[in-house]
Order: sequence, then structure tokens, then C-alpha cells
Amino acid sequence: MPFISKIQRQTDYNRFPPSTPIVIDNGASYFRIGWAGETEPRVIFRNIVQRPRHKSTGETVTIVGDHDPALLKYFDCTRSGPRSAFDSNVVFQFEIMEYVLDFAFDRLGANGSRIDHPILITECVCNPVHSRSKMAELLFETYGVRSVAFGVDAVFSYKYNQLHGICEKDGLAICPGFTTTHVIPFVDGEPVYKGCCRSNIGGYHITDYLKQLLSLKYPHHMARFTWEKVEDLKMEHCYIAPDYALEAQLFQKGGKEAEYKTRCWQLPWVPLPTEEPPSEAEIARKAAIRERQGQRLREMAEAKRSSRINELENQLQGLEFLLQQLGQVQEEDIQSFLSETGYGSKLEIELTLTKVTQSLRKAKGEPKPDQAENEEKADSCTSDKYPLINVPDNMLTPEQLKEKKRQIFLKITTEGRQRAKQKRVEEELERERKTQQDEERRLENPQLYLEQMHTKYKELYEKVEQRKRLKTNGGHTNGSSSGGVGRGERLNAAQRERMRLLTTAAFDRGKGEDTFGAKDEDWQLYKLMGKDNDDDDDGADEDEAELARVSSRLQEIDPTFVPKPEPTASQPAATEVPHVRPLTKEDFQIVLGVERFRCPEILFHPNLVGIDQVGLDEMTGVSIRRLPSKDKALANRLTSSVFMTGGCSLFPGINERLEAGIRMLQPCGSPIKVVRALDPVLDAWRGASLYAANSRFHQQTFSRSDYYEKGEDWLRQYQVRYTL
Amino acid sequence: MEAEVIKAELVLPTHMSFKRIQMYEKYPKGQSKVRWKQLKQILQAEICQNYSPDEPNYVNIESPPSMQPCKRICDITGFEAPYHDPRTNLRYANADVFKLVRSLPNEYVQRYLALRKAAVVLR
Repeated sequence: MPFISKIQRQTDYNRFPPSTPIVIDNGASYFRIGWAGETEPRVIFRNIVQRPRHKSTGETVTIVGDHDPALLKYFDCTRSGPRSAFDSNVVFQFEIMEYVLDFAFDRLGANGSRIDHPILITECVCNPVHSRSKMAELLFETYGVRSVAFGVDAVFSYKYNQLHGICEKDGLAICPGFTTTHVIPFVDGEPVYKGCCRSNIGGYHITDYLKQLLSLKYPHHMARFTWEKVEDLKMEHCYIAPDYALEAQLFQKGGKEAEYKTRCWQLPWVPLPTEEPPSEAEIARKAAIRERQGQRLREMAEAKRSSRINELENQLQGLEFLLQQLGQVQEEDIQSFLSETGYGSKLEIELTLTKVTQSLRKAKGEPKPDQAENEEKADSCTSDKYPLINVPDNMLTPEQLKEKKRQIFLKITTEGRQRAKQKRVEEELERERKTQQDEERRLENPQLYLEQMHTKYKELYEKVEQRKRLKTNGGHTNGSSSGGVGRGERLNAAQRERMRLLTTAAFDRGKGEDTFGAKDEDWQLYKLMGKDNDDDDDGADEDEAELARVSSRLQEIDPTFVPKPEPTASQPAATEVPHVRPLTKEDFQIVLGVERFRCPEILFHPNLVGIDQVGLDEMTGVSIRRLPSKDKALANRLTSSVFMTGGCSLFPGINERLEAGIRMLQPCGSPIKVVRALDPVLDAWRGASLYAANSRFHQQTFSRSDYYEKGEDWLRQYQVRYTL
Repeated sequence: MEAEVIKAELVLPTHMSFKRIQMYEKYPKGQSKVRWKQLKQILQAEICQNYSPDEPNYVNIESPPSMQPCKRICDITGFEAPYHDPRTNLRYANADVFKLVRSLPNEYVQRYLALRKAAVVLR
């Protein structure tokens, strides 16, 4: 992690005399502030401001920089995200800038009535005068600073490294920053802004690109890809490929090296508790419990049965006894005798007796007298059973007539049943015959038979499927990439037909006189509308039955045969519940493969993210060409001291790539040397600190009165001399 | 305010002794917000000043478009993309990616296109 925030409050502010300058590196991503002459800035933080609402009190507060994210739980940050004072690399939002400066001076320990120090603050190359003057105004009017100097961060970094012998007095500074990338040529230790070149691409774009790519690749983990996390991923894993095409091919082919270069980020994932197969003892225990329960149930059922048998037998005995007694009783006493027992007549007693006998038989588990036998019997004694049928009506009493009607009805139903049975038997025989024929054919030529069966199965299956498709017609013609389901695709065929009829009807009646109903045919429409398209269902049923038969037959004779998904049970594919696969460890892995070098590649090819400007390597050529003097020796001197600074120069491999790129563009034999700053991130501040500590620094600053007297045109021309 | 928030000095104090004009005086509550000029407007104003074109300024130091042929990479995988799908306008590397491209919902297609600023923007 090259970027580390330091926000502890400093306590030694009053130790510094008013002549000591305060040095500020106001970068688009990080803000650094400290004292001139020191080697490290005192306070470093992200150059952002958040204005969330405090959850319990409801007041809007200001939070500058990056803090422990755990503390933000007390604030409602949903309304306002982090905001920056920068548009591209130019400060434009001075309200936010003021919050940032407040925080910075406060953490530096400022406690007087004003900031009574000279200020050196960095700005971008060729900062628009509007931004520069607003910044000066803010510093003078609000903070009451003594004097101000503006400088360019990349230049300070170059000067600092020149002092340490990293680069020469003539050279090119390449500074891929947060939002922009600059190339600044140096001649005799001074930057030549005329030869300057800026592409609007930087670390911000790389992080954003990576963030978007990952969210598109892993839509389920989108919430994981916070800006900070992706920034971390970028710094840890991204690198510049020596040759993009070759590197991409390596990954496309796969293999060991690509695997080695692929990084994997395992998200926290807890495996679901797997169902352990129960142990032997457990199984035995469960079986025993089941057995005991079964035993108890059986015993209960047995007890119930025996008690019922008992009861029935008692009843039977009672009834038999009653009948016996009834036999002994005189004819005229029967009524009085029966009134005591609760039965109406002897017949009733006998009926009850037969019923009880039957129940008893059933309870004891004896087989019922055979149904068929019964029917046979019924058959044989039709004439006995229906004695009144053949008797003419006029010979019968009204009651007998009623009885006759009943008998006729009974006879018809019985006969009907008989016929149905007959038919069943016949069908059974027919099927038997067919199977036998089938079997014979199979035995004749098993191979041919199997083939025939298969083709038959296929034909039938397709037929059934086709019919179903016609009926439901869901999404089969949907080839569009939109994936949306239109209204037409959601309706089945019947509904669609109805819809069509309705619309045509409405459309026809729309114009001219409404004559609907004048003709009889018009009313047919309602019939059509009301009808579901079940008219061909009989055929479908037959086909389906045949399909089932063929399928089962095939299963019998061909062990390799697997029936296609049951056609009758399956719904239209859209409504089917998708098969849910249990989530595995792999579903929680974020794999960084091509992304590792694809994202930083935009520094060299900004058109990959739609920015139509030259990349890093070409920028050097553009910059050299823009220089006023077309001195070949100078160009050679420049390319032999190409210096890289800024956060994005930390990518591994950028030096080699840049060198190769410049070699391609420069004339053959040009000396090329690419170096990286000692510390690409902090050297700008260090250079500025060293510069401000120089005794002649005060000559480069301007005061409040200068600012108001000399006017805007002067401020636009204002430029510090970097060599003191 | 919670103790740990106060301890971390998370919230910026509204009053600073070292300031001549406080935030609440400069931007009183309830007053309409100051509209800061966006970079575009700032640059527009610069151009209106009619500076000499030889002098470097923010606008003219900008890089020109690249002279190299535009690199075409697969929008999904990042491999070299010899093909282009006329329906979605996405570039793709091979048949497998093409299958994926065709199965992508339109929203994702637009997001992929937006990555290289080629998305259709309806206004």
C-alpha cells in the first residue's frame, strides 16, 4: 500500500516562526501538508469531503478525508457520497477546498488568529487563471496567509530526483497521475510548458475500469467492489504487460503460465453444513424405535379388531336368540314382543342379522363372496330378480308399477356394467394379441425391431411436443439478445387467438356504422372466442398413450434407452423452476486474469476506454515535437533521461514497456533511458519542501497586495523559477 | 455525538480560530448554494480571453488523438477481437464469447459499450 493516511493532530505548530513556509501538495487523490525543510509531510489524507447526516441528532456534519469506516456507522451516508474539489485536475469547487484546508490546518495544529506563514501549494500544469485566482483569494482572505507560491507537483518531483542524481538537467518528466497524465520536457533544469502534453487518463480511470469490469463479470458480488477495495486490488495485482497482444494470447491459450499469473480473491464463504450419513448405531436405533412403534400400532389394531369381533358376535348371538324367541312367540303377540326389542318386524331383524354376519366376516378377514360370482348369480336369476319387468302395466297396482320402474333401471345399469366389462376383457385380449405379435416380430429380427421402435418413439415424441408447443408457444422463437419476454410470448396459443379475434372485431367495428349483430354469422364470433383450443385433444391423448406404451416397451427391451423428459408432465420451459445448484467455494472467488494487465493498458491506449488521445509512449514523441528548438542532440538528451513519477508509475513493468514504446517511435540509435522516481508518490511534496526551504524562496512568492495590485493578467503569467 | 466519534475527531469543527471568515458566515444556512463554474465553463472563459496561441494554456497542451491504429480488444474477455457483432456492436474474440454476447441482457450490453463510450445514449 503506497498510500497511507496520516491524520494525527500535530502539537508543535507554535515552534515554527512565521517565516517558515507551509508546503501543500494538493493532488486530486491525496492532500499532503507539512513544513518546509522537513522530509515527510505531517498530514496526509484523501482529498475528499463527505457531508452525511448524523443518525441520532439529524444534523449535517462535515467529514474530510478518509477515516476508520467503522465510525461511519453513526452517519447516514446514503444521501451524499464523497465529493472532491477537482474537476479533472483543476480545483473548481472552492467550498469543498475550504473544508479540506480547514481540516489540514487544524490537523497541522494551527491555533492563532490567522495562518501567518508563506504557503507553497501545487497546482496542475497551466492551471486556468480562474482557478488560480480563486485559490489565492481563498488563502489570503479567509486564512490571512503571508504570501503564496504556486508550483507544479511533477516538476518538484523531477527537481528532487535531479538533486539525487536520478535524472539529468535535460529530460522528460512523465507523470501519470490520478485523473490526468502529463509529459513535461526539461531544458537546463527548467520545465518548458510549451512542449507540455496532457492526456486525460489516470489512476482514476484504471480503478473505474477494473471496478466496472469486475461488476460485470461478477454481478452477484457487485456490492463487494467498493472504490477502496478495487483501488487496493489495482495496486496489489495490476501490472503492465510487455506486449499486450502476446500476454492476452498467453491467457487465451491457457496453460501453466497463465494459471500462474491468475490471481484469485476468495470472498468469505462458509460451506453449508453437509448432511453426514448417519452411523450404524444411529440407523439401528432408529429402526428399533420404528419397530417398537409399529409393534404398538399393530397391537392396538389387533385389540380393536378383537373387541369388535367380540361385540359383533355378542350382537349376533343376541339376534339369533331373538329370532329363536320370535319363533316361539304367538303370531298375534309378535307386535308387542318386537316393540320391546326396538325392531319393527321379523324382516328387519333378519336384515340386521345378515349385515352383522357380513361385518363379522369382514372383521375376521374372511374373503368377501366373489363379486363376479355374485354377478353370475345375478345373471342367472335375472328373471327372479326382476319379476315385474315382463308383466304388462295394466295388471299392476301403482306400487307395483313403481317397483317395476326401479327394476327396469336396475336391469339397465347392470347390463351396462356387464357390457363395459366385456369390452375391457376384449381389449385386454387385443392388447395381449398385439404384444404377442410384437414379441414375434422382435424375435424374428431384434435389430430391425429396435430401430423401428426408436423411430416410432421419436416421431411420436416430436408430434406430442409439437402439439404442446403450438398450444403454449413460449419463447421458442426468441433469439434476440435482449432476453425480454414480450406480451405476445407470454400468452398461449388459445389466448392469443382470442386476442386476435377481439382486436379484429374491434377494428372492423371501429369505422363507419356499427352493424355488428345484423348478420347471424357475427354471433359466431363469441363461440370462437369462448372456445378453448381443446378440439384436437382426443388425438393428443391417443398419441400420448401410445408414446407412453412405446417408451415403456423400449425400456423393457433396450437397457440403454432413456426416455426424454415426461412430455405430459412438463410445463412450458419458462415457468419451470430452475434447478438450484448448491453454492460452492468457487462461486465466491473473484478471479483476476486478463484484467490484471487489461486495466493499466489504458495508460498506453486510452482509446480502450473511449478517450481518443495518445498514450504514454506516444506522448513523449508529441512532447518533443512541440518543443520550439528542433535540435536532434536535445531530443537525444531528453530521451536519455525519461523520468517517471506519480502514483500510476508504480505499476510493475511500466519502465520496460515505456522504453520499448519510445524506442519504436524515436529514430534508430537514439539513446533511451527510463528511470523511476525514488518515491513516485511523495517526492513531489519532498521537492516542494526542499524548494520552500531555500533562502531565495521568498522571491518567488507573492503577497496579498501583489495579488490585488498586479491584476489577473499578471497572475496568469505568474510562474516560479524552479532553479534557485 | 458518540464518544468514539468525538475521540477520533471525525467531524470537522464549524468554528476555526485561524480563519478570518468562518464557513457559516460565508455560506449561511438556507441560502442558495454557490454555483461553481465547471471546468468546461472555466475553459470557455479562458478561450474568450483571446490569448496568443503560442503561449501554452490548459486547452492547447492537451494531447492529440493517437496516430497508431486503434487497438480492438474483446469487450468481454480482453483478448484480441477479430470479430464484431453487428446486433450488439460488441467486439468478441471467438465463438464461445459470441454465444455469451448473444445471451447477454441488453442492460449489460449497454454497460459494456459504455466502458468504451460507445453506448447508445437516449436523451
